[in-house]
Amino acid sequence: MSALLSMENLTGGYGDADVLEDVSLHVDPDEIVVIVGPNGAGKSTAMKSVFGLLTIRGGRMLFDGEDITTWAPNRIVQRGICYVPQVDNIFREMSIHENLEMGGFLKKGDLSAAYDRVYTLFPDLKERRKTPAGRLSGGQRQMVAMGRALMLDPKLLLLDEPTAGLSPKYMEQIFEICRDVRDTGVAILLVEQHAKQALAFADRGYVLAAGRNRHEGSGADLLADREVAEMFLGG
Amino acid sequence: MDILELVNFYIIPGIVLGSIYALGAVGITLVFAILRYAHLAHGDLATLGAFVALACVTALGISPLLALPMAIVATAAVAVGIDKVFYEHLRNRPKIVTVMASLGVALMIRSVIQVVWGVDTQTYSRGIVRPEDYFGLRIRDREFYTVFAMLLLVGGLQLFLTRTKWGKAMRAMSDNPNLALLSGIDNKKVVMLTWLVAGGLCAAAGYFLGLNTELKSLMGWSMLLPMFAAAILGGVGRVEGAVLGGLVVGIAEELSVLWIPSEYKAAMAFVILLFMLLVRPTGLLKGKVL
Repeated sequence: MSALLSMENLTGGYGDADVLEDVSLHVDPDEIVVIVGPNGAGKSTAMKSVFGLLTIRGGRMLFDGEDITTWAPNRIVQRGICYVPQVDNIFREMSIHENLEMGGFLKKGDLSAAYDRVYTLFPDLKERRKTPAGRLSGGQRQMVAMGRALMLDPKLLLLDEPTAGLSPKYMEQIFEICRDVRDTGVAILLVEQHAKQALAFADRGYVLAAGRNRHEGSGADLLADREVAEMFLGG
Repeated sequence: MDILELVNFYIIPGIVLGSIYALGAVGITLVFAILRYAHLAHGDLATLGAFVALACVTALGISPLLALPMAIVATAAVAVGIDKVFYEHLRNRPKIVTVMASLGVALMIRSVIQVVWGVDTQTYSRGIVRPEDYFGLRIRDREFYTVFAMLLLVGGLQLFLTRTKWGKAMRAMSDNPNLALLSGIDNKKVVMLTWLVAGGLCAAAGYFLGLNTELKSLMGWSMLLPMFAAAILGGVGRVEGAVLGGLVVGIAEELSVLWIPSEYKAAMAFVILLFMLLVRPTGLLKGKVL
């Protein structure tokens, strides 16, 4: 099976400084891939590079057989990748329903099937659909953010630290939802600070350090790896 | 002084003036929220709207009320044009550059008006209009039109912002511009829509100021401070707040002559602006802090 997304020897960063050096990773359809690593390792940067949000100086990015390295964000969205930033990922003043509507902005025609899909994944949101998103709790905001990104039926969802600042209970819930989303046929690439829990739940993982690939493997293998454990997981 | 006198001589003129300020303040608040800069040419754009209506009245011989829609359309188009020619190129520069550019645009618009229509005061129709008496309340027809048109235009705008896809896109761009881009919202179209709305409302503000007082080339410029005070008083980005702010500033200006000489009337807007920025910078209805 060919990869849905593959990043090949990518080098790039913001402005003139390279944050990523020679990073390669791939995501297959129907899998959850997690990027872990210490602070400042370039995890979020690697994710933003998919979305054309930084200057790329080397390597290339393929999505579904097409070279998307130089595409503008809105073209990438239309092609089937949606991105949930870590912060400011909702429209605070707008209702939950309006947030979803804006997520489906590019979609022509009827949105009702997309609403149904999102509300089935997040039943809590349906009840409160008229509530301004800014009034929700952290966990529910994250759900709105994910729901917004799912409105366009993406093939790949990018999540930047979806559990940052959430209680362990909500963290579990978000991971649970990620699995449900994957089971509807959407691949997920996420960046996580909570390395142990994330590796335990993901299908595969990459360990990034100082802007480079260090380790790659199934979540379980990485968790068992001595060097990885010492590096980030506190022994 | 009895209560009827207070209402007739201060409150009613205050509401009329406030409605005019509200029309301008709504545009200012939208530009502030969506484009994130203070647009200093707003007053002179209103003057332009007023004079375009005058041109329609004199050239076509139509009634001033029919000239209003024409002025709205023409001024909206001019506003979009000004954005394309001047502001669009500055979009990625620090916002203060655009603010200064808008000051330049203000002077340019004013000069064009002075060249075309001269510097003398003019009116839409000559003669004195006596107010009608409604159970002791004395109201002129044009005062009715002003308040009614303001409510109609702002009400229509609110419906557009809350019920339509592009209206919501404008709110989304004001709420979280990065996320709006990530959602694939076309920011160029949103910017154009913002100018259409702001320009149209500006024309209405200028027109009604001209209808209730007289037309002169500095009329809009002198309205700029009260309009900004109204927008900030109401909370930046809040359309209903701008209306509320406009009415408060208008009524406060009219009432102020009870205690201070009328030459200082305009200072009321400044006092309100300073007071709000010190005490509650988010405005009466919680808006953005810029």
